[in-house]
Amino acid sequence: MSALVSTIRATLSYRGREGHWLWLLHRISGLGVLLFLILHVIGMSSAFVSIEIHDRLLEMYKTPPFAIGELFLAFGLIFHAINGTRIAILELKPELWQKQQLATRLSIIVVAALAAPTMLIMAVKSIQAFFGSAH
Amino acid sequence: MSAIHSSAGAMPRTSRPLPKGRNRFERAAWLFMRLSGLALLFLALSHFGFQHIIVGTHQLTSEDTIVRWGLAGESITLSQLFWRLYYGVMVVLAMLHGLNGLRQVAHDYLHNKLVYNGFMAAATVLILVATVLGVIALIVGVNASGAAEAFAR
Repeated sequence: MSALVSTIRATLSYRGREGHWLWLLHRISGLGVLLFLILHVIGMSSAFVSIEIHDRLLEMYKTPPFAIGELFLAFGLIFHAINGTRIAILELKPELWQKQQLATRLSIIVVAALAAPTMLIMAVKSIQAFFGSAH
Repeated sequence: MSAIHSSAGAMPRTSRPLPKGRNRFERAAWLFMRLSGLALLFLALSHFGFQHIIVGTHQLTSEDTIVRWGLAGESITLSQLFWRLYYGVMVVLAMLHGLNGLRQVAHDYLHNKLVYNGFMAAATVLILVATVLGVIALIVGVNASGAAEAFAR
């Protein structure tokens, strides 16, 4: 257990600037998306058992805790996709390693450009659903 | 390939050679992560964009699932076949991509071999069960046999 603690402490205290934080966020977002994926696939597969259970689970997605989790999911998925692309391209073309910092900043910009409108649209839809006119 | 072998031959290979079988597995896993990642970049983002941004979770009903998957026991249309294949490929690739990613993270943080093996065994079973359930649902379609009574209420 102490080995786990020291590994995590070293992970957090290592000062590798942006690249290090992207590496850490890649792991956290990957684990988060995987957790959601398992729950989501098991939940959706309920449709072949009974449509009533499926309906009830879909209604659960429309509750505030899920709406907030969905925002984290949106960011995690977009970040993991774009950062993973950066990693794959850099590994494929080692000559680009000299421009690592540019690649890092570029992927941060692309993530922000995709995640910000996505999360905004989702948040507006959720606010409309929770606080808009009841129907 | 020959370049890799010749450079490796110049190194002190007696120090700690990887077992050949494991080495081949790690190479395959490394390549799989890149290829499945590339496929998921399009599959997962298009799925997320369609269901969460264009449709929106709050608009989601089981009717949509029937439209895309079709009903159990009925023949399916071409568009339903497309959706079943789309979700089938995505769910299998995403689960295996996640399982291998989890393996790498667990390898870094769980140093006790017993803890690592137990954790990975449980995670592998969970992920395989979820994958099989998802694929079965896509093969069978939506079971609405109990829905007639529900609508009659």
